[in-house]
Amino acid sequence: MILTFPPKQHFLYHLPPNPLLSFASSESPFSLSLLLRLLLPMSAMKDSGPLDFSAERVLAKEFLANFADANGEAKYLNILQEVANRRVRAIQIDLEDVFNYKDLDEDFLRRITENTRRYIGIFADAIDELMPEPTEAFIDDDHDILMTQRSDDGPDTVDNTDPRQKMPPEIKRYFEVYIRASSKGRPFTIREVKASYIGQLVRISGIVTRCSDVKPLMQVAVYTCEDCGFEIYQEVTARVFMPLFECPSQRCRTNQTKGNLILQLRASKFLKFQEAKLQELAEHVPKGHIPRTMTVHLRGELTRKVAPGDVVELSGIFLPIPYTGFRAMRAGLVADTFLEAMSVTHFKKKYEEYELRGDEEELIARLAEDGDIYNKLARSLAPEIFGHEDIKKALLLLLVGAPHRKLKDGMKIRGDLHICLMGDPGVAKSQLLKHIINVAPRGVYTTGKGSSGVGLTAAVQKDPVTNEMVLEGGALVLADMGICAIDEFDKMEESDRTAIHEVMEQQTVSIAKAGITTSLNARTAVLAAANPAWGRYDLRRTPAENINLPPALLSRFDLLWLILDRADMDNDLEMARHVVYVHQNRESPALGFTPLESSVLRAYISAARRLSPYVPKDLEEYIASAYSSIRQEEAKSNTPHSYTTVRTLLSILRISAALARLRFSETVAQSDVDEALRLMQMSKFSLYSDDRQKSGLDAISDIYSILRDEAARTNKMDVSYAHALNWISRKGYSEAQLKECLEEYAALNVWQIHPHTFDIRFIDV
Amino acid sequence: MVGLPYDFLVNPLGAVRSTFEKAISSGSNPASFDGKDWGALEPFQHFLFDQNGLSKVPILNASSVKWVQPNTLVRFRGMIQDMLGNEFYVGAYKDGSTWKTTKFMDSSQCPAGFSPDMRIWERRLLYCVPVPGQNSWTESSRLGEMNHSAEGTSENRQKRCRMDENAADHMDLLAPSDELQNYSGGKKLKDEQLSPGLQSQNISTVATSSLSTVCNASRGFLPCLVKIYDTEESELKLNDVFEFIGVITLGTEHKVDKDDYDEFSNGLSEDLSFQFPPDMVPRLHCVIHRKLAVHDFLHTYHVLEPTTHQIKEIRTALLNHLTVALGNDGVAAHFLLLHLLSKVHARVDSMAVGKLSLNLTGFNRESMSIFGNQLRLTVKSLLPFTEYIPLTVEYLNTASLAPKKDYEINRLVPGVLQLAEGSHLMIDETQLEVGTLSSLGVENARLLKNLMELQKVEYDFKYYKMDMTTDVQLLILSEGKSNILPADLVVPFQPSSVGSSAITDMDALEAWRWYLSNVRSLPHSIETEMQQVVENDLVAAKQADRNLGSQDLSRLLTIGRLISASYGETCLSLEHWQMVKELERLRRERLR
Repeated sequence: MILTFPPKQHFLYHLPPNPLLSFASSESPFSLSLLLRLLLPMSAMKDSGPLDFSAERVLAKEFLANFADANGEAKYLNILQEVANRRVRAIQIDLEDVFNYKDLDEDFLRRITENTRRYIGIFADAIDELMPEPTEAFIDDDHDILMTQRSDDGPDTVDNTDPRQKMPPEIKRYFEVYIRASSKGRPFTIREVKASYIGQLVRISGIVTRCSDVKPLMQVAVYTCEDCGFEIYQEVTARVFMPLFECPSQRCRTNQTKGNLILQLRASKFLKFQEAKLQELAEHVPKGHIPRTMTVHLRGELTRKVAPGDVVELSGIFLPIPYTGFRAMRAGLVADTFLEAMSVTHFKKKYEEYELRGDEEELIARLAEDGDIYNKLARSLAPEIFGHEDIKKALLLLLVGAPHRKLKDGMKIRGDLHICLMGDPGVAKSQLLKHIINVAPRGVYTTGKGSSGVGLTAAVQKDPVTNEMVLEGGALVLADMGICAIDEFDKMEESDRTAIHEVMEQQTVSIAKAGITTSLNARTAVLAAANPAWGRYDLRRTPAENINLPPALLSRFDLLWLILDRADMDNDLEMARHVVYVHQNRESPALGFTPLESSVLRAYISAARRLSPYVPKDLEEYIASAYSSIRQEEAKSNTPHSYTTVRTLLSILRISAALARLRFSETVAQSDVDEALRLMQMSKFSLYSDDRQKSGLDAISDIYSILRDEAARTNKMDVSYAHALNWISRKGYSEAQLKECLEEYAALNVWQIHPHTFDIRFIDV
Repeated sequence: MVGLPYDFLVNPLGAVRSTFEKAISSGSNPASFDGKDWGALEPFQHFLFDQNGLSKVPILNASSVKWVQPNTLVRFRGMIQDMLGNEFYVGAYKDGSTWKTTKFMDSSQCPAGFSPDMRIWERRLLYCVPVPGQNSWTESSRLGEMNHSAEGTSENRQKRCRMDENAADHMDLLAPSDELQNYSGGKKLKDEQLSPGLQSQNISTVATSSLSTVCNASRGFLPCLVKIYDTEESELKLNDVFEFIGVITLGTEHKVDKDDYDEFSNGLSEDLSFQFPPDMVPRLHCVIHRKLAVHDFLHTYHVLEPTTHQIKEIRTALLNHLTVALGNDGVAAHFLLLHLLSKVHARVDSMAVGKLSLNLTGFNRESMSIFGNQLRLTVKSLLPFTEYIPLTVEYLNTASLAPKKDYEINRLVPGVLQLAEGSHLMIDETQLEVGTLSSLGVENARLLKNLMELQKVEYDFKYYKMDMTTDVQLLILSEGKSNILPADLVVPFQPSSVGSSAITDMDALEAWRWYLSNVRSLPHSIETEMQQVVENDLVAAKQADRNLGSQDLSRLLTIGRLISASYGETCLSLEHWQMVKELERLRRERLR
């Protein structure tokens, strides 16, 4: 009898060298579960009843056995089969499933939420009873051999008088049970988790700031007694425990010996254990406060799921850690708390994964029906910046973007729009950039100089600890699938300037340095802001001289905008009024409209980005002719300032597609193309607006000739007012000038003007 | 005090207990006290404010901490430097058949073991420090302190013995500062010796973020861990200056055994009592707190409401004083006065309205040693919280200006720019020489620039940064116009004589302090007619100089506001607006 377990001795030959587990010299004075039960609100105690857990187990078992998911599959039985086949370890019980269960017992659901830790045990017991036989063969590991040994020895070694000699169910289990909170509704912030939530299942969001190493945590300690030969089990529920020194077996007790217990590390059951710190996200911290932190315990399969810097959503049980030993005496009844993690979800901040909240879908649908949504959204971008409507429209289109295209031969055509804002210092360029970054779900703001050594693209660096070469992505790589705003674009490092050509067209960053050759994705929309070459825009010089960037780089921008600070009495008065108002009323003057919240903007844009509009056949001709006319115009002028290339054509298509997305349309309409052409023309005129005075024609006659040509081209006698306005504004004229022209030529009986709609009808002669 | 069974000063917990018992006996269920007051505050309020008991409550500072009895009522004036989160405690429990409470106590005397009748409550922990840059003349109500120490000398003896047991070495550390305190009258010389020490200590604290320096009590520097009960979170904000009145506990938590700690430390636990040894950082269980404004730090008990005429007189006298200090430069003195009165009134679209940072140019090493120091002393004697940064390349490269979160110890490591509202910061740029900035230096320069332009400081939380708004008056002394620190106003300094800043009489000084702290919060408005004039003038100015931005226009209005406030008026008059234009003209003339 003394050598009851020779095989186990045999196993001891390769013990882990350092079990890493610290055995505290003092046992916790009370068990955690006891404390927990005491800490629970009284109401919860009464409901669950003191010892009605067998009934609860039946409920749990019924749920697991009978729950059918949307496809009618027995979800949990399938998981159990997987577990039996040793394919998975974790059994996640989704509270949403409990909620959707056909025989929903609301009380049961509430009891689980309020006393989750207890119910994990109950579910585990239920699973033990339900566990099917494995359907596949798998290789026995040490653990299985051990178990077989134990069950073979069963009858003659087990004497059932002592609970410690009964094998705890824990040691037999291959699986781990997690109860996962319903993902409906907003997760808590750390600040909102109050004392009343102790013991309950909560869902919180935050950023991981620290992680400990993963360590083994003893779950069941197994001893063998040298005197009687029995195997003794001890369940460990806390982080520290008091090892047994006296053998509790019947034999030792009758023999009045203390026995000689030896801890069998090989036979004991360990869990992986990791501790992490979670901190509130910046946007959840009230003004003038410091982010709170919370300790999180991750066990088993949940370890190594998080790293410092991750933004995560956790569901877990909010529990107190009673101080032990000296600290308990010192601190009285003060308790630290932690979150026992049950599930870990990483936040994804991409448009594609943006989930609309309940009411947002409705709101977006309502907005989409509003005909003026394009203007409304554009105005809501940086509402505190006065004017610049066309620029804001362009920036809105940058946020929306066009779908990426991949041709059959593997060539990729980018869908991201690139915009460059150029202008005098102090015209709120940087403010616009920062605002766009705030609206975009994923955006990186940087300056051309770049503060870190990595710069804009990527760098190979030597890791100071390991001396290994590591690849570190710069701002453009970090902004992959998002927007990268680059301020002071003209002051870019030479090395970045060469690399950015590739980024802007191929959308990758290639690296061949220090033995690393690779290319990183940088599918990002570039929003650049640059200052003119001599600090301020010099009107006496040509635009090309003012713009301090090579043409090859400039041609990669879909839109290039010049913002000048021109002397203008009205603007000055506007500014003076604004300043006085701010000082008087301590707030900005009302905007005359209510800008949409950035969250609404974000939701709308993400909804729009799901579409990928195509160009219908009948529009192809129209676009082609528009493109060729721009080319011809350029060829005619002796000093071409623009570089109309195939890139321009792609830009037109991109902008049109973005506009179609905004309308939630699957096809690009002619109005989209017109607006795209208008924007491109406007952006050009912002650069060359002074040129047209030189063209000889005065504004009024020029407008007339534009309208006449257009009518001749379409072979129609009627031109609608909206259409006319579109055409002339593309050429850089204002509505007032159009009206003047209409009146003047109507007086000459060249055309008739509709008194209400102002539509034009040419008089045929 | 009519036959109260307890003394608020010596036995505040008795008062807490008796109100608790009263509330229980009147049939309330302790469960209803969760996060609420059961009526314990009201008698305290009555005692402190209606019966003028406040002045009898000793102020907790580095010198008084030695004789203050634990579990007595004290008050602590300080700035909230860090927020340490919540603490859960068993607030009420049933001992036998009677309910007891442990509110406002550190540890309970309740026997180990648990009964089901227990209420878990929570309290918030705030780490408070004396206001950075606080000048010694503000240590007011020394009166009350003296009284108390006279009363309690005999007690004191016993106390000392008891304290000696666990804090003997600490006492030695504090003793010299005690001496210093004793004979620091209004002498400025003394201040000077004391504060550079403090400053360099500050800097070193910041430079090394090691655990010990964070809470190391230097001379005269006593931090305090304040435990707040049942208060709205929004009421207490970071960097606010508060007076906390509550129950002090000293050294009741046993010193942590290093061994004991180590055993747990391979996890991520931060033990408060290890970080803040209770004998170094006293715990204050706050009963009542009140926010302090600058004028709460003045001595003027005779709160006078001077007439406009008197205000004008004070203004003239103060302006004279400043003119003398600035070597008879009247224009610079004018701007300095306005600068000292400036304050952020509102924030509109990231713009701080009302700030007026001043850059006095034309200093060199020589004039700096004369006027710079004189200016420093003058400002120090007038404002309660002043800080001084000698800007050098080395300083920029080494100092950590912004507070930074250290996740190893889970604490916010203070930075030089973590300042209370209404602080004055003087930056001496004359010592700056040609050199290379490290990345930290660039970051620091950016922080200073942000502070100048937006009155915001970015706190570094490693994974993200958080903007904290501040309200700091910034005065820059430089040789040429400072480009690193773009101030609102650049005034070339042109002294004509070396005047000695005559040591003025205390009454005048008091009046000036009162003037500076009160006048700046006067309301201000512009009549419609005046508004028209102002608008037209602004447009004209803008037309004349295309380089003027909205910032410059805003600055003119700020100056207008400050000028009328300096005369104690609440409405902009044409006369004062003319003054604004005249001052601006004089300034521009100098810039040419």
